[in-house]
Amino acid sequence: MQRPILWIHGEALGPANPALVAHPGRPAVFVFDSALLLGRSASTGDPSSPAEPVSLKRIGFLYECLLELPVSLRRGDVAEEVLTFAAAHGADGIVTCASNDPRVARITETLLRQLPVQVLAVEPFVQLDGPVDLGRFSRYWRRAEPQVWAGWREPGP
Amino acid sequence: MASDPIAGVPLPWPDQPGELPRHFRNRQALAQTLEQLFPEAAGSLSPVRGGRHQADTLLARLQPERYAKGRNFLDGPVTRLSPYIRHGVLTLAEVREAVFARTRSRQGSEKLINELGWRDYWQRLWQQLGDGLWRDQEELKTGHSAAAYARELPADILEARTGLACMDGFIEELHGTGWLHNHARMWLAAYLVHWRRIRWQTGAQWFLQHLLDGDPASNALSWQWVASSFSHKPYIFNRGNLERYSNGRACRHCPLATEGCPFEASYEQLEADLFAPMPTIRATDNRRGGRDASRSGNRGRSGTTQGSSTTALSRPTPRR
Ligand SMILES: Cc1cc2nc3c(=O)[nH]c(=O)nc-3n(C[C@H](O)[C@H](O)[C@H](O)COP(=O)(O)OP(=O)(O)OC[C@H]3O[C@@H](n4cnc5c(N)ncnc54)[C@H](O)[C@@H]3O)c2cc1C
Repeated sequence: MQRPILWIHGEALGPANPALVAHPGRPAVFVFDSALLLGRSASTGDPSSPAEPVSLKRIGFLYECLLELPVSLRRGDVAEEVLTFAAAHGADGIVTCASNDPRVARITETLLRQLPVQVLAVEPFVQLDGPVDLGRFSRYWRRAEPQVWAGWREPGP
Repeated sequence: MASDPIAGVPLPWPDQPGELPRHFRNRQALAQTLEQLFPEAAGSLSPVRGGRHQADTLLARLQPERYAKGRNFLDGPVTRLSPYIRHGVLTLAEVREAVFARTRSRQGSEKLINELGWRDYWQRLWQQLGDGLWRDQEELKTGHSAAAYARELPADILEARTGLACMDGFIEELHGTGWLHNHARMWLAAYLVHWRRIRWQTGAQWFLQHLLDGDPASNALSWQWVASSFSHKPYIFNRGNLERYSNGRACRHCPLATEGCPFEASYEQLEADLFAPMPTIRATDNRRGGRDASRSGNRGRSGTTQGSSTTALSRPTPRR
């Protein structure tokens, strides 16, 4: 990719967003996802209940976070808006960062039909290789805790 | 300051048609613009501000050792970082490093690191379960079928007029600020699910409408933990527990303080009132002699293990 745009999503609204770090100065966009804000997504509501819109508090919080980042703001259908932005900037690809939200994965699939998408990883809280037993927190923590603390250095005298 | 102009950082590329404004006369003007742009969204802005600037201010105040001792109290030194973490304004790795930088002895910071671990845990589960986290992970241990729980939120809850000063206070705080202390979330969720017998999904959706840190994984799975579809038994509390960790704040002016408080009872009594007989509840309860003792500070699945911090859902830790 020579001329990518950056797609910033709601799980990485900080300066450590790896897309912003890897491509400083490249045009970046965030899209307020209309369906999600109306509560029509598993990210904002129970799929088996009638949808309830998200309150303005949450939108305002996101907005204030976004104003501190170099990012253009749009609203509507996320994939459509990102592609419109990409076309306006003559982009040959999209760079974004990883997310746990299946909705982000589905949007990424849609984008991929039009342009190459590079998904960058966020620095993990703890690196655990191989399968992790998530049956209960205690099992996860028994494995994770020593790894997390391995990164701490006791202060000198 | 509420009256200061708000300006987005400059963009080195030209604006395109259809892009949203990034400059406002003041916070009030931002609120008005958002009301026009998002007419379906109820309410106004939270007093809690978004942005890395605010997150850094909170980060600079971290006190891991005080946190460990006082985190269960409503006025205790919790970090209030959750909205910033949820939206990646701060990564968990950045918060971990900030905690490490303030750590003299590992033991003093273990609790806070453990809580960050809870977030990582729920996020890993989200990857595994996807949208499936809205389904019961296990069957309820309340003796009631899932169908016995109401699908709709009653009006007195939505309007914060249950008549219980504690719950009405929590509801107003949720609606007004979009943030609640962990203990208040647990009490409010338990009240809805067990005392009012409302589906946990209904409560979880309501929380997601309002919480600035609203996160499908942390939220839905915590509700499941309260409900007992992701734990060995339902979470309940009693007045003694609420009064202690809220320093009696709400009880002092509650009309039901002297008579009619639904939480004023022993745990045995509450269980008998709220749950239908279910042999497995009895069987798991007897693990640890005094049930009240295990509950008042730290109830949950920790009966047979040593460390409360590793087995309980961010629940009250016993004071040492
Ligand atoms: C019914 C219910 C619903 C909840 N919904 C959410 C939610 O939507 N989003 C959310 O982030 N948390 C949720 N929690 C977890 C917890 O209540 C909040 O993370 C915490 O109260 C936030 O305040 P704090 O930042 O001061 O936390 P602190 O106690 O200062 O903890 C530091 C950080 O650790 C993480 N953390 C702490 N406890 C938990 C926990 N139990 N689960 C996950 N992460 C945790 C958070 O990122 C938090 O910011 C819920 C808990 C319950 C009981």
